[in-house]
Amino acid sequence: MITQQVAEDKLTVSIGPQHPGAGHFRFTITVEGDTITDCVPDPGYVHRGAEKQTEYRNYLQSIPMLERSSLTDVTNIIMPYSMASEELMGIEIPPRAKYLRMIMSENQRIISHLYWLGIQGIFLGHSTMFMWPLGDRDIFIDLGQMIGGARITYSYAIPGGVRNDMPESFKPRALKVFDYFEKRLKDYERIFFSSPLFLKRTLGVGVLPREDAIKLGVVGPVLRASDVKSDVRIDEPYNFYEDVDFEVPSFKECDTYARCMVHLIEMRQSMRIIRQCLEKIPQGPVRVKLSPQQRANAGEAYGRVEASRGAMGFHIISDGSTKPYRVKISVPSFRNLIALPKLLIGSHVADMPAIYWSLDYWPVEADR
Amino acid sequence: MSSSITAPKQELSPAEKAIVDSIGQLGDKAKIAYVRPKRVKILASRENIVEVAGFVRDVLKFDHIANVTGTDFPKDKAIEVDYHFESIDGPGLRSLVFSLGCRVPTEDPVLPSLIEVFPAVNYHERETAEMLGVVFKGHPNLSRFLLPEDWDDIPPLLKAYRLPGRLEAGE
Amino acid sequence: MPEIVNFEQFVRRILEILFWVLIILPMIALPVFYLIYVLQVEIQCGFSLLNCSHQIDWSLALYMFDPSKMNPLDPNSYISQLGLGTNSVLFKVSTFPGLTFAAILSSFVIWYERKLLAKMQYRIGPLYAGRVEGWLQSFADLFKLLFKEIVIPARADTLFFMAVPFAMMALSGALLAVIPVGPTTFIASSAYSLLIALAILSFFPIVTLLAGWASNNKFSFIGGIRALYQMISYEIPLILSVVGIIILSGGSLNFVDIVNSQSRIWFIGPMILGAIVFYVTAMAEVERIPFDIPEADSELVAGWLTEYTSMNFGVINLAVYIKLYALSSLFTLLFLGGWQGPAPVPGVVWFMIKTVIMLTIFIIPRGFNPRVRIDQLISFGWVWLIGIAFANIFIAVFLRAAGLL
Repeated sequence: MITQQVAEDKLTVSIGPQHPGAGHFRFTITVEGDTITDCVPDPGYVHRGAEKQTEYRNYLQSIPMLERSSLTDVTNIIMPYSMASEELMGIEIPPRAKYLRMIMSENQRIISHLYWLGIQGIFLGHSTMFMWPLGDRDIFIDLGQMIGGARITYSYAIPGGVRNDMPESFKPRALKVFDYFEKRLKDYERIFFSSPLFLKRTLGVGVLPREDAIKLGVVGPVLRASDVKSDVRIDEPYNFYEDVDFEVPSFKECDTYARCMVHLIEMRQSMRIIRQCLEKIPQGPVRVKLSPQQRANAGEAYGRVEASRGAMGFHIISDGSTKPYRVKISVPSFRNLIALPKLLIGSHVADMPAIYWSLDYWPVEADR
Repeated sequence: MSSSITAPKQELSPAEKAIVDSIGQLGDKAKIAYVRPKRVKILASRENIVEVAGFVRDVLKFDHIANVTGTDFPKDKAIEVDYHFESIDGPGLRSLVFSLGCRVPTEDPVLPSLIEVFPAVNYHERETAEMLGVVFKGHPNLSRFLLPEDWDDIPPLLKAYRLPGRLEAGE
Repeated sequence: MPEIVNFEQFVRRILEILFWVLIILPMIALPVFYLIYVLQVEIQCGFSLLNCSHQIDWSLALYMFDPSKMNPLDPNSYISQLGLGTNSVLFKVSTFPGLTFAAILSSFVIWYERKLLAKMQYRIGPLYAGRVEGWLQSFADLFKLLFKEIVIPARADTLFFMAVPFAMMALSGALLAVIPVGPTTFIASSAYSLLIALAILSFFPIVTLLAGWASNNKFSFIGGIRALYQMISYEIPLILSVVGIIILSGGSLNFVDIVNSQSRIWFIGPMILGAIVFYVTAMAEVERIPFDIPEADSELVAGWLTEYTSMNFGVINLAVYIKLYALSSLFTLLFLGGWQGPAPVPGVVWFMIKTVIMLTIFIIPRGFNPRVRIDQLISFGWVWLIGIAFANIFIAVFLRAAGLL
């Protein structure tokens, strides 16, 4: 960290651009005594021009490039792209593909939330809160590997359906994993979330009131912890979310502890959704085979999906050729970034790690 | 080309029809580009855009900004800036995405900023400004956001900018 | 290793390694020397080397731990006349219960801590250094640290910068000097031992601040100041929690008297509040989690240890762990009855067992606690701990006045 003294008792500290476990992002805070008086975020360290590159590739070719932006959340980041492309191409995917997309999407949500929990432990100085979630996350990655074929980036939900079918051995294994993990979640609640020191560091810290949350346009767990019951899965149900029942948490307290609890509850609900999908999934094809030179009709499409960090959107403009004319990605991390100065100004310096990571800002995703 | 499975046609819901009627109040200031199930888009000109945005927020009750897209249309010599809105507190409007578009000529890409109406467009407009060269009048800080500070080429998302080492877009 | 390009650098490198080896050598070589050579030779063969190779009785080595049971030949032998025998001050200071023993125990405590934390976190911990569960890991780390380059910042105050590891080791050693591990096994025993121990503990914040200041780095300085705040705020509850013990032991500040006055009941029973306060403040004094703000690297500042590399860091770390061992021994002496225990096992071994149990209890909170915020920490120390310590004093006065203890 680099500092310069700007006035008698003011220090400007530049934090980043490398954080332990949290990616490349820099923000500058001005500190007076123990209070932060100004915060200026400075993203762009991992900007790779993904949007420009989609204009040079046809619809199928962009998938591996786009999914690598959001490394912990790969299924959800390309799903709105696939949905918008299918709308432009005028095709409808088979129902089994939609259920499989739901299963992988919820699995991915658990994986992403566990990673978030681990790094929150690092930022609070709690080493066990780092080790346990990352150890359990590996079991879910193995589940994803059974269907997807790779551990992290499997390019699964492509335009036209999904790439692979689910093996027979997936269902019993998944049920065993969920039984194990539900017991572990009880342990997490008891040991991590009820610990008095954790409560002292997160209760009442980083409060984002409801009107500010809506006006600033935040999404995801941050919005849900600010007393807004908003989730794309219930607002604009895609795949078959209207046929499964699950809860969307929301809390009135709007502080960091509420955001932690939202993540925890969402993990439970994801397991519930996957169980129901495994009961309801029909037989059938999983893919509409598209040629790589598939043309899309001219026009615009906007696809929306609830990713782990919030609502993700893809706006695709097509001119009727095999390559999209313009792809604009609406990333939850980027939309939540504006809350960072608002929350940090006026708080203690020592609260900065807890607040920063509770917004779940993923730099690579925000920079595209 | 054709495909074996085509998407079924969907009907417009009452919410969209109500919006279309409300937009009629604006008269000349806004033109409807398309009305599809769950997606409505209107176009405004740059003189009226701040007023139309206020209308969208207060009357149509779309209060949550989702995205700001900037697209370069060299054939029309225009840059189009689209604002996409979602609604949190609007009644029955949760599934709708409302788009507000505005075209500016490429030689004079100046547009009033919507930051007074929607504070959340701060970073979105900043990114559009640096990627396409659009100037948002009234925006407090249009400095480099995602691009490096020493970027000296033309704004990268213009079609005139070619990614080095790639075939031309559209080939 | 840094690149050596000419003869002068070569000579300096050799001298540097020699310097550290000479400091570590007495700690390792002396006990080996005693155990294998001097002790057996001394007890069984006098000082005649030549006829001693085949008749060594190793069980006599136990007498090293309790000098009062020494062979009566000992005071007359040539070795102890030289002042090198096992009853001499040199042996006690350097080997047992002094520096070597404390250093080796601290190295094992480091390994033990890593293993314990790993088991709590569903991991394995050190595995490869040493056949069984990696028990040689801390020695391997120490050995590795010997070969790293010592980097002194360009504008740092070299004298004070290099003085800090020595000062910390000296303070930890001085702390060990007044702590007896058995009824007659101690380096020094005075009527004011407890006061001396507490006074030495008060020196550590000054040395820590010196380390932070001498690094010439604004963040190390801020880290040193935070460590100073933490240690000073928690010294007052530490001292207050011990006052109850002094009252109950009849006003004596000597450790042997304090342990003897626990013969009816160990003080942890009536003085449970004092024990809790002592435990919490001891954790803050050694900067263990949850109180490890001065060493935290994900917070704003870098910590006062930042500029210390290789053996500087190794020696300071060792000094901190020796301080932890000393505080655990203090807890054992003051609250757990010291060396008292059933007969066949010698008192020293009981002392060691209790100290290791206390060390475990010091290590375990690291597994399930996040870090405390600095302002919460200081307000907790000044408001709550002092209050509980005062309540403890009132209980002690009451018990003494009522003649119960």
